[in-house]
Amino acid sequence: MIGIVSYGFYLPKYRIKTEEIANQWGKNPEEIKKSLLIKEKAVSSFDEDSLTMAYEASSMALSNFNDELSKIKIVFFGSETPVYAVNPTSTILAEFLGIEKNYLALDHQFACKAATGAMISALGLIKSGFSEYALVCASDKATAKTHDALEYTAASGAVSLILGKKDVLLEVVDYTSYSSDTPDFWRREGIRFPSHGGRFTGKPSYFTHIISASKKLLEKNKMTVKDINYGVFHMPNGKFPQEVAKVLGFSEYQIKDSLVVFFLGNSYSASALMGLMAVLDKAKAGDLIFFASYGSGAGSDAFIFKVTQEIEKKRQNFSKILTNKKYIDYATYLKFMKII
Amino acid sequence: MISVIGFYQTKFGELWEKSLFDLVEETISFILRENQLSIEEIDAIFFGNMLSGVLENNLHSAAKIAEIIKKNIPIFRIESACASGGVAFYLAKQYLEANSNKTVLVIGAEKMTDFSPEEITQALAGAASGDEQEVGLTFPGAYALMANFYLQKYHYSERNLAYVAVKNHFHGSLNKKAHFQKKITLDDVLKSAYVAYPIKVLDSSSISDGAAGLILTNDRDLLKKTKYQVKVLASEMATDSISLMEREKIDEIKATKIAAKKAFFSAKVDQKDIQVAEVHDCFTIAEILAMEDLGFWKKGEGGKRVKDQETMLGNGGKLIVNSSGGLKAAGHPVGATGVKQIGEIYLQLTNQAVNRQVKNARFGLAHNIGGSGGTAVVTILAS
Amino acid sequence: MVSPVKIWRRQKKIRQILGKKGKIITLTKVYVAGSDFKKYAPYYLVLVELEDKKKIIAQLVESEDDKDLFGKKVKVILRRIREISEEDVIPYGIKVKIIE
Repeated sequence: MIGIVSYGFYLPKYRIKTEEIANQWGKNPEEIKKSLLIKEKAVSSFDEDSLTMAYEASSMALSNFNDELSKIKIVFFGSETPVYAVNPTSTILAEFLGIEKNYLALDHQFACKAATGAMISALGLIKSGFSEYALVCASDKATAKTHDALEYTAASGAVSLILGKKDVLLEVVDYTSYSSDTPDFWRREGIRFPSHGGRFTGKPSYFTHIISASKKLLEKNKMTVKDINYGVFHMPNGKFPQEVAKVLGFSEYQIKDSLVVFFLGNSYSASALMGLMAVLDKAKAGDLIFFASYGSGAGSDAFIFKVTQEIEKKRQNFSKILTNKKYIDYATYLKFMKII
Repeated sequence: MISVIGFYQTKFGELWEKSLFDLVEETISFILRENQLSIEEIDAIFFGNMLSGVLENNLHSAAKIAEIIKKNIPIFRIESACASGGVAFYLAKQYLEANSNKTVLVIGAEKMTDFSPEEITQALAGAASGDEQEVGLTFPGAYALMANFYLQKYHYSERNLAYVAVKNHFHGSLNKKAHFQKKITLDDVLKSAYVAYPIKVLDSSSISDGAAGLILTNDRDLLKKTKYQVKVLASEMATDSISLMEREKIDEIKATKIAAKKAFFSAKVDQKDIQVAEVHDCFTIAEILAMEDLGFWKKGEGGKRVKDQETMLGNGGKLIVNSSGGLKAAGHPVGATGVKQIGEIYLQLTNQAVNRQVKNARFGLAHNIGGSGGTAVVTILAS
Repeated sequence: MVSPVKIWRRQKKIRQILGKKGKIITLTKVYVAGSDFKKYAPYYLVLVELEDKKKIIAQLVESEDDKDLFGKKVKVILRRIREISEEDVIPYGIKVKIIE
């Protein structure tokens, strides 16, 4: 059996409400909340970045890792906001975590699916015997231009997973990937904020890729959505995951636990995985979880996970950390995002 | 016997027209002129300065002074953070102990107002350890950590600290060379803005320019013809860990305790004999800790004792503290401070302190601290 | 430029202390900061005695609303530590956070 051996997550303490941003720009907050279905988003402080959050999430994952650290010979970091353009974040992360030198470090970049792609690579490397375990971390301090639609959604957060074959809490039943050249969202070298294709990010991008990957994976495993207990999809806003779930035939009940985007926003490479973290609060042994990420550019990685008994030993408390929050105003938000 | 036979101080304050070496030059020429000495009679110079290396890329200042005086004598630049002046004096005394019939100058100077508060804050933080600088500890921040600990432990409030500022500003109002010559009230102190809680602007010494100089001699012939002279009974120095976090206690400065103990021992006097003292009050808390660590007050009592203002001129106390205004009101041009302190005691013991003269002062003490307590110099003088 | 070599050496030291717990012995809130820290001001600095009795000074984060910080339990965390040129190596360092 191969899968997730341990997991951890990090959410910054600060939140900004959709109203607070909308009021700055003379927008009707109710309209924005209705169209994006996001009432507030998580914001990391000025001294936090994708590395510090990755460290927090990974420390949590390691707190439930009961084997020797030296057996982790893979450290993958997936992010859209790595701390350097050149110089890996994965090695800085491994250094602070105390993972010793005999490991493969790689930073992965593929918009919001950087880390799920890294998971697929890591699973392959574990199967091939390269390493017993792999640490895969998704972390983003997502930025947005001011007065852009993304300003309401781009959020901060990190998720860290340790993959391996021993004491698996979430078995990876199967996975697939679907990619194409679809430039719906991009950021060029030396440019600070990403740009996007507006409504082009929807049907030909998000929906086409997730639906294609998902259908293929279900077919391949001779499953229907009825066999699945929880559905988790990438959450660029509150609407898209609900719509894609509906197209695929998932019920509201199957996906409601994963929709953390309503109150956390979109933490990019950590976004879909954050939904998985929320689901793991409740999931029981034997439950099947269907998971599909999306990365602009574009691609989707779909997974079927099966929960094992191990979950009872290693379950973290996701809902508990949600309560430790403090609201900030727009000026503080700009300060925290280093825009001012 | 080693004696101080002359003292000169520039005005302390914002001296826009003067550079560091203008101040040094002024000090050397005036101190020599006022004491009818020529540069030919000076055997060595001890120069206390902290920041010029960091702020002005100005090292090798000994040779710069040689250029000013046009002489080829030994000159030493001493850097011990805020104790640079005190340590310069200490070393000058050591020099005279090893060399008979010599006369030396001790000069302290600092130029601070050419720079922004952030640059000065960053430069002064150079007196803290790398680990402390790395977390953003400032110089006021270090004393604020001590102050808050002290207030909490002995159940005092910020008001107790403020009395020190009121007293020293009153003394400053009597000193024409002081940076600040205005009296302030307890309310003024309490209403001033925080620099590092609980330390406020008026709990803090200022960023000042200034220089001070002393003539120190063991030349018998010179001593015979000098009118105003005081004996150096002791000048002792001690060091301690540069990092506050490595110290044994947060509410005392161990280096002061050690230096004081040694100084009182070698001077063969005790605390009761001292009528006038200049103690290192870079922040109000520092004067309270100094009074306790020097053995004038019991540990923990300082917060209460300052309220009585018994060390203020005119209140009939047996010991007057910081009659110059201290670092607090006279100003704190870092390298000059330790020299000025001894100079003030010299003025008091030679009855030249005019409107702030402490009556019948026979023994005086000067106490100079570097950083948050990494260096301490205690000097005892007698008329 | 902040020397990358210094940062590299310091990282090993930071690693030793990350995650340690202790309690606040004394604190201050710095309003006037040095150039590299101006953007973070005002910030809390606390003197912490760790469980192994070693003392550290560090910035305390996320405690804007906390009252009476004396004696509170804290944990050492990893954060960005000072604002330097965008061209330099990023200096990470320790800060502390209150734990229940």
